[in-house]
Amino acid sequence: MKWWQIKKRDADLERELRSDLELEEEEQRDNGLSAEDARYAARRAFGNQTLIKEHTHEAWGWTPVERLLQDARYAFRQLLRTPGFTLVALLIMACGIGASTAVFSILDSVLLRPYAFRDPGQIVVWREVLQEVAKEYPSVPDNYRHFVYLRSHASTIQDAALIQNASFAIAADGDHPRIEKGLNVSPNFFTMLGVTPMLGRFFLPEDAQPGRNNVIVLSWVAWQDLFHGDSGIVGRTLKMKGQPVTVIGVLPRDFEFPVVNEMRSGASPDQTFPYEIFQPFVPQGDALTSDDAEFAFLVIARLKQGGTVPQASTELSSLLRAYSATNHLTVHLSAVVEPLSQEVTGNIRKALWLLFAAVLGLLLIASVNLASLQLARAIAHERDNALRAALGAGRTRIFQAAFMESVILCLTGAALGIVFAVGGIRIFAAIAPENLPRLHEIRMTWPVLLFSCGISGVAAFLSGTLPALQSLRSDPQYALQSSSTRFSHGGHTSFVRRLLITLEIACTVVLLIVTGLVVRSFSRVLNQPHDFDPSRVILAEADLLSPRYDQPNGSGDSARSEVIDRMLDKIRSTPGVGSAAITSAMPLSGNNYVHSMYRPDHPLPESEVPTANLRNVSPGYFATMQTRLIAGHDLTTSERANPQSAIVSQKAAQAAWPDGQALGRKFKFEGRIYAVIGVAADARIANLKENIPVVYLPFWHDPPGAVFLLIRTSRGLDEFAPLIRRQVWDIDPEAAVPVIEMLDAQVGRSVAPERLVSVVLSLFGVAALVLAILGVYGVLAYSVSLRTPEFGIRVALGSSKLKLIRLVLLETLMPVGGGILLGLLASLAATRAIRSLLYETSPADPLSMVGSVGILLVATFMAAFLPAHRASRIDPMKVLRAE
Amino acid sequence: MPSTATQKQQRIGVLQGTLDMLILRTLLYGPAHGHQIGKHIQRTTNEFLQMQHGSLYPALHRLEERGWVSAKWETAPDRNREFKYYRLTDKGRKQLVVEESQWKQMAEAVARVMWPAAEES
Repeated sequence: MKWWQIKKRDADLERELRSDLELEEEEQRDNGLSAEDARYAARRAFGNQTLIKEHTHEAWGWTPVERLLQDARYAFRQLLRTPGFTLVALLIMACGIGASTAVFSILDSVLLRPYAFRDPGQIVVWREVLQEVAKEYPSVPDNYRHFVYLRSHASTIQDAALIQNASFAIAADGDHPRIEKGLNVSPNFFTMLGVTPMLGRFFLPEDAQPGRNNVIVLSWVAWQDLFHGDSGIVGRTLKMKGQPVTVIGVLPRDFEFPVVNEMRSGASPDQTFPYEIFQPFVPQGDALTSDDAEFAFLVIARLKQGGTVPQASTELSSLLRAYSATNHLTVHLSAVVEPLSQEVTGNIRKALWLLFAAVLGLLLIASVNLASLQLARAIAHERDNALRAALGAGRTRIFQAAFMESVILCLTGAALGIVFAVGGIRIFAAIAPENLPRLHEIRMTWPVLLFSCGISGVAAFLSGTLPALQSLRSDPQYALQSSSTRFSHGGHTSFVRRLLITLEIACTVVLLIVTGLVVRSFSRVLNQPHDFDPSRVILAEADLLSPRYDQPNGSGDSARSEVIDRMLDKIRSTPGVGSAAITSAMPLSGNNYVHSMYRPDHPLPESEVPTANLRNVSPGYFATMQTRLIAGHDLTTSERANPQSAIVSQKAAQAAWPDGQALGRKFKFEGRIYAVIGVAADARIANLKENIPVVYLPFWHDPPGAVFLLIRTSRGLDEFAPLIRRQVWDIDPEAAVPVIEMLDAQVGRSVAPERLVSVVLSLFGVAALVLAILGVYGVLAYSVSLRTPEFGIRVALGSSKLKLIRLVLLETLMPVGGGILLGLLASLAATRAIRSLLYETSPADPLSMVGSVGILLVATFMAAFLPAHRASRIDPMKVLRAE
Repeated sequence: MPSTATQKQQRIGVLQGTLDMLILRTLLYGPAHGHQIGKHIQRTTNEFLQMQHGSLYPALHRLEERGWVSAKWETAPDRNREFKYYRLTDKGRKQLVVEESQWKQMAEAVARVMWPAAEES
């Protein structure tokens, strides 16, 4: 029989019993009994009808389910009788489970979900280590010749492909070209990853021959965006940077290669969009011959089955060492291999795990809180349970009935929580840093739902077990004899509740301290002097892509210089513009364009030569950025034809001239000799968290293809952006302008991961604090209401109000004090684990510790004071009369 | 009262596990409803076996659940009323044979222990 037929069967049984009872009755009447006596006799013969029914139900085999449903109904009724409690408990659980689910879904899509390649776990990234610069740059990009050597010699590697980031200017609908990010890849790139084309084909080795690489593969998104999913796209020819290229294939929809950078942890804020265009990589120029320079590429490799990352690392390193020895290289090489997933998620990995740990801590606090609230209810229901036990209810049955309430609260909480989580994910996707890897992949999935079911089960277990066990403890005789509804209960319960509060406080302390540290670290990043002022500066990128800039023997460069000068003149003469300048690198995009500073007067071994980031800037750069010039003066237009002056940052000056006399000194940089005409303050233009040495050169010596205009103006962005575009296009209609925004926004984006973690952790911290207050208040308020008679007697015997308040407050002293102590101990371990996330903040930062504990103490004191105050106002007459 | 102390000595409850067999055996005569089955067992044993409704109905439903009997509401031949008639199924018939032989073995085993002399002679 199926259990949903039970109702029908029950009616059937009822009818059967009734009909047989009537037969029995008739028989008794036939025996000569009166109608009434016959009825009684028949009833007696039948015995306990309810019991018969119950036993028959058992014969059907669905009793456990029936009992479960019964208990569920009962629990529902109990919960509905106390709507206030139920609502609070539901909200607590919904928030806890919802937050956990949301954080987990982010974790799942960013860190856990595998890429859509074959065996994505086997895909690794390898870089070289240049002993000479290892102190500043633990790893460097790969050299082409080393790649070729390693690919053919390494036995731990199944296959390897070289990639290089590239921007492709595509003029899709005539007009101004669009810039699409993409990769130059070895022809075996896609086959190594194990993808099959959705349309057309992928690259063949001959596509990488010089002059034959005019073929491209489109990502699914590019195919949709640029060609509206045209199925006849394969074979079409279009113009890229003025040259015709042919589309030969389209990638499947789920394939997306994560954004990677040639430099380790150089994930720059401007690289937020997926790769859309792939072109074969053709090795040429210096790359083919150089063994000790041209570290400009990145290698993606697939490990042999069963091979591990450390094995590959060791093998590649020893191969490289042997290679540099046999070829008598001037540099000392080794290699470092990392799984692709780790490479991509790098810094955010630890931050997300921290958020996950924090949210689980929050869930634990919520569960403990619910357990504590439920425990109070279990005590209040002690008489009910005693009565049930006296009437013969089994222990399992009582336990099950009591446990059911927590199960219902957690399940309903989970359902609500998932709704919260869906909303939470939407909000998260809106506020999350755009450069969070795989952000747009975040969504609800089955594993996520499974996870939230799992944690709600754990929460039910955590919050339901103790109260259910409590309901078993009621001694029927003791409970029923007691005339008062508030008989004094053993010390056991209050001990357990205090233990729960201790645990809750301890978790809260850890969470608050971690939050305090992260927030302090973030505020330090923001508030330390960074020696430039991004407010009211508009940042615009203009990419000069016209073929006329590609002319040989310097005429292309001079054309570019001239265009840049004209743009600057035009912008500077616009009303409302204070000053304008250019730089050659996107601000806040990390350490890049690093070169050595050679001093002709003081030769050093290669490993000791200081390095600096190169920025090609125009005169007026320092005024626009408001970076102080500590000594000397700004670049001038006078040496446009023959640039020989440089401005160095203070750090670069100190590194190159430790004696402190930088002004007027000469150094060789990028193959030319420059004289220092100024020393600039250390502006953190590459990364707010890092003070890097910079050499500023007049841009005319090597005018950049991607020009970053900086415009200090009092006018708003919305009003000014179209004007800037028009001015750029007036001078070069073929220029692309992919970025126009406030420099502030770019600065904000560069610290977006830190901001996100700070904001989310702060939310969790506040939630934990609220829960802790609720917990302490709940326990104390209940304890006071139980001890009302005792307090009444105390007052009657002459106890003062102050003494009563002190008595109640003392009750919280142990659990709160113990919890804080426990929390401080636990936070020693927790803060050590997050050390790498902190910026110039000690894990033992006293302010965070003292502040967290202080806030918690004040909060719990306030939570405790209310019940204490209530205890002090007990009227002894009323209490004694009630007894 | 049907269950005073003296009556209890004269009538014993149906042995655990034998009730199923007795019901199946009773149904061998043809379909019957619960009341008839109970009365039949009681009368055949001259009221020696006391039929408890508390065990009769669960037993009937258990047999039905196992597929040894089938049940159907039918109009009684002698009166204008429907009763729930239980009917022996083929499976039930086989089960009856099994239970009968088990019971025989059991009774013989008990007898050998209780009256060893009688067995030898």
